[in-house]
Amino acid sequence: MKPSRCHVITSQMLDKTFLADIMKMRGGQNILDCIQCGVCAGSCHAAWAMDFTPMQIIRMIHLGMKETILSSATIWICASCYTCTTRCPRGIDIPLIMSALKHTAIKEKFPAKIEIKPKFHQSFAEIVLKYGRIHEPELFLKITRKNNLHEIMQNAKLGLTLLRKGKLKLKAPKVNKKTQWSAIFEKVSKEAAA
Amino acid sequence: MKQEPKIGVYICRCGCDVEGNISATVDVEKVKEAAFSINGVKIAEVYEYVCSNPGQQMISNGIKEHGLNRIVVAACSPRMHLETFKRNVAQAGLNPYLLEIANIREQCSWIHDDKKIATVKAVDLVGRAVERARNLKPLKEKTVQVNREALVIGGGIAGINASVELADKGYQVYLVEKSSSIGGHMAQLGKTFPTLDCSSCILTPKMVYVAQHPLIKIFSLSEITKVEGSPGNFKITIRKRPRFVDVSKCTACGECAKKCPVTVKSEFEVGLGQRKAIYQPFRQAVPSAYSIDKEHCLYFTKGVCKVCQKFCKADAIDFMQQEETQELNVGAIVVSSGYETLDPSGVKQYSYGLHPDIVTHLQFERLLVQGLHRPSNNEQPKKIAFILCVGSRMVENVNENDYCEYCCNIGCMNAIKEAYVFQKEVPDAEPWVFYTDIRAHGKGYEEFYARLRNHGVRFVRGRAAEVVPHNGHLRVRAADTLLGMPMEEDFDMVVLSAGLVPSPGTENLSRMLGIHTGSDGFILERHHKLRPVDTQREGVYACGCALGPKDIRETITESMAVASQVATFLGKGEVSVPPEVAVIDDEKCNGCEECLKICPARAIEKVPSTFRTRMEINPMSCTGCGICVPVCRTEAIDLNHCTEDQLMSQIRGVELKEDVSPKIIAFIEKNTAYASADLAGQTRAHYGTNIRIISVPSTGRIGFRHLLQAFASGSDGVVFVEGEDSVLTGEKLREHVGRLKKDMQAVGIESLRLVSTTTTIPQYPKMVDTFEVFINRISKIGPLSPKVREEIKKKLKWGESK
Repeated sequence: MKPSRCHVITSQMLDKTFLADIMKMRGGQNILDCIQCGVCAGSCHAAWAMDFTPMQIIRMIHLGMKETILSSATIWICASCYTCTTRCPRGIDIPLIMSALKHTAIKEKFPAKIEIKPKFHQSFAEIVLKYGRIHEPELFLKITRKNNLHEIMQNAKLGLTLLRKGKLKLKAPKVNKKTQWSAIFEKVSKEAAA
Repeated sequence: MKQEPKIGVYICRCGCDVEGNISATVDVEKVKEAAFSINGVKIAEVYEYVCSNPGQQMISNGIKEHGLNRIVVAACSPRMHLETFKRNVAQAGLNPYLLEIANIREQCSWIHDDKKIATVKAVDLVGRAVERARNLKPLKEKTVQVNREALVIGGGIAGINASVELADKGYQVYLVEKSSSIGGHMAQLGKTFPTLDCSSCILTPKMVYVAQHPLIKIFSLSEITKVEGSPGNFKITIRKRPRFVDVSKCTACGECAKKCPVTVKSEFEVGLGQRKAIYQPFRQAVPSAYSIDKEHCLYFTKGVCKVCQKFCKADAIDFMQQEETQELNVGAIVVSSGYETLDPSGVKQYSYGLHPDIVTHLQFERLLVQGLHRPSNNEQPKKIAFILCVGSRMVENVNENDYCEYCCNIGCMNAIKEAYVFQKEVPDAEPWVFYTDIRAHGKGYEEFYARLRNHGVRFVRGRAAEVVPHNGHLRVRAADTLLGMPMEEDFDMVVLSAGLVPSPGTENLSRMLGIHTGSDGFILERHHKLRPVDTQREGVYACGCALGPKDIRETITESMAVASQVATFLGKGEVSVPPEVAVIDDEKCNGCEECLKICPARAIEKVPSTFRTRMEINPMSCTGCGICVPVCRTEAIDLNHCTEDQLMSQIRGVELKEDVSPKIIAFIEKNTAYASADLAGQTRAHYGTNIRIISVPSTGRIGFRHLLQAFASGSDGVVFVEGEDSVLTGEKLREHVGRLKKDMQAVGIESLRLVSTTTTIPQYPKMVDTFEVFINRISKIGPLSPKVREEIKKKLKWGESK
């Protein structure tokens, strides 16, 4: 883990409304219940790659360190595996808070620390919207940078392995009863707009 | 013979002339004039301090010389000087229950600035007090003899010490214990923090003392099955399970256990040791006798064996023993039912139960006493992880039940102590403590913790995330939250400091005793700070972990406190029963049992009689809340000092002056909510003169009839304010109000005209807010339509003529 970027927390770094904003979003209601026990940080399978542990992110929300959080890698690294929430003694939905932070970061145009991630989420959603289910080859094509030969080779290699094990379908998936999932999407986008 | 009421009204200025707390905003002379004009008022006087000596003299003179038989004092809150004036009136020879106080300070002069409005309201307050006074009846306090014997439920250290303290004070004590020996959890412990005394060495002498004390009788293998009677005179039924060993003959030589062929896991060793089917949980057990475990004994399961009987030299074994019931008469009850360790297997990530080397703190205590070894291979562990807060401080868990929200209070210190003893036992020991927050809050605890930090115990600030068996070791994953870094370590053993939960029978026991448990399942004390060992019921007390998790020192303190409280209660020899209780008219009662179902104090009992079931209210248990009065269909119940007549006349009194619109009656619970209203006055919070307060023992006293009367008397809205610690809160209050609203709609009154709220004393701004919002609401809806009012009046008249 890299050492934290902030050496001294100053009042310039603290956004007074940030905590209240996050508490209004889904998953944020009980964020003040956190007792900073560290079960999330200890449970997180991706913590080694993060610049701040999930627990530290929660603490920074309490303080209102908006800029530090929204420009951190942690919010993009979280894989939403829900190990932390299953074990959290205070019932805090950390992945939901992470996605709330991701939304805020995109809305307020913070450059993502992990560039590919916003694009990944975007493409993922687009593909699901199109077919009703994820279609991996298309996702690969969409997120791989065309000017990076190394990346293309790596992804192709992974793709072949998956293909060999029958985990990858080249044909686009079909979902019966398209109307049902499009209704779900409509509802979600309506809620998001509200 | 009914006495013609001769009423004296004494109005206090609360200060000099126009400077007084009352006279500054209330024209007291006008109030006096108004009072004098009311029928029955013989004397109306104004004085600067009615509570002072000359003021009290005035009242005495009025009673002695003018033959007054009802006194109304218009002054400050009754919470301030009710007792003063009661004494005053009693000394002058009048029954103190013939006194009424009109609160024209906290509810009037301190609330309003406008002298005109305040005066009108004061006149109204005094008028209503006079109306109530007219209907007051003399009441007498009764006294009842108490039985000077006490029952202690639970033979752990709390119960043992409470029994010792009480018996040493000279009271007969019955100590009831459900297992075969007293001693409880303390007997299972090795050493105690922070002094590191041996637990058994300080406990067992006390156990022996209990056994030998002439005033203590131990009932082992016994449980309470029934509690009847009232404070001072309880009748207890206990069930004694058979021991199958004659305690008086058994010498505890242990020959029987040596020969017994059945081996089972020992409960005392928390599954980490074995015992026979005939056993003693531990050598120092009291009573010092063996007992047969019927579930495992071959004679009881298969009908063969009886080896123990053959080898018992004392001929103490008796397979014919039967279950017995016994009745005890006691004056007071002490609950010391203790705690249980929470089952940590509900907190899945710690893999408890999946690997033998993952143990609870209590199991680890036993391992330390037995000689420390890993349960899996009997080798000495070198590296142990102590995980704190297992199941504690959680508000959510994947498993519904296995967690508690509160702190276990002892986990930190206990783990630190165990780490220390582990270091002493094993030369190159490596204890790690994974903690959330170290709570070292007792005398000497912080110093103990500091010593251990300097003693090679590694403290990691971070709740362990998971425990996984890994290559013959146990891998603990956690995060060092001070560094913000995840970590992994391999250990030989893992000790889980599991949370503490109430003994399984606590809920049932409290229901039998008519006391309450809190949301945490532990017994609720009367007052968190001032009455910490009293329960909601007079004569029933609690101490130790039955009240909540705590350490031995605090348990001892509480057991001493409880003994003192019990001695105070029993020592007086009699208890006085306040006369403000509900009474049943036998003629009218039809035995429908509605009152019995609703009584929160379990004061109502069914009495079988030849012709029909009769209900009887026990004045000792009755708290005088009056909830039973409106539910009685035959109007057989009435509440002393807040009778139907008195209450109705108070409500009718609102009609006297048509001064404000809308007019709102606030029924306020007389303790907490009334005190809250007083505080609103003391802080000079302002609310509209529209609010007319009537204090009631509980808003459950108000039935539909009273609501109708309130609306008929010109009120446009009704507010209920209940104290948060009263008997009628939460769901019960909602139900009560919901029922009334339905009835209101049936006669054409909008349900919006009734509102209820609860308050604590400092929450008066919330109450004032409710008043203001409600006044606004009623102003918007407008006054009750005259047509509906007329109909209600007709209905009431019809009801009365019937």
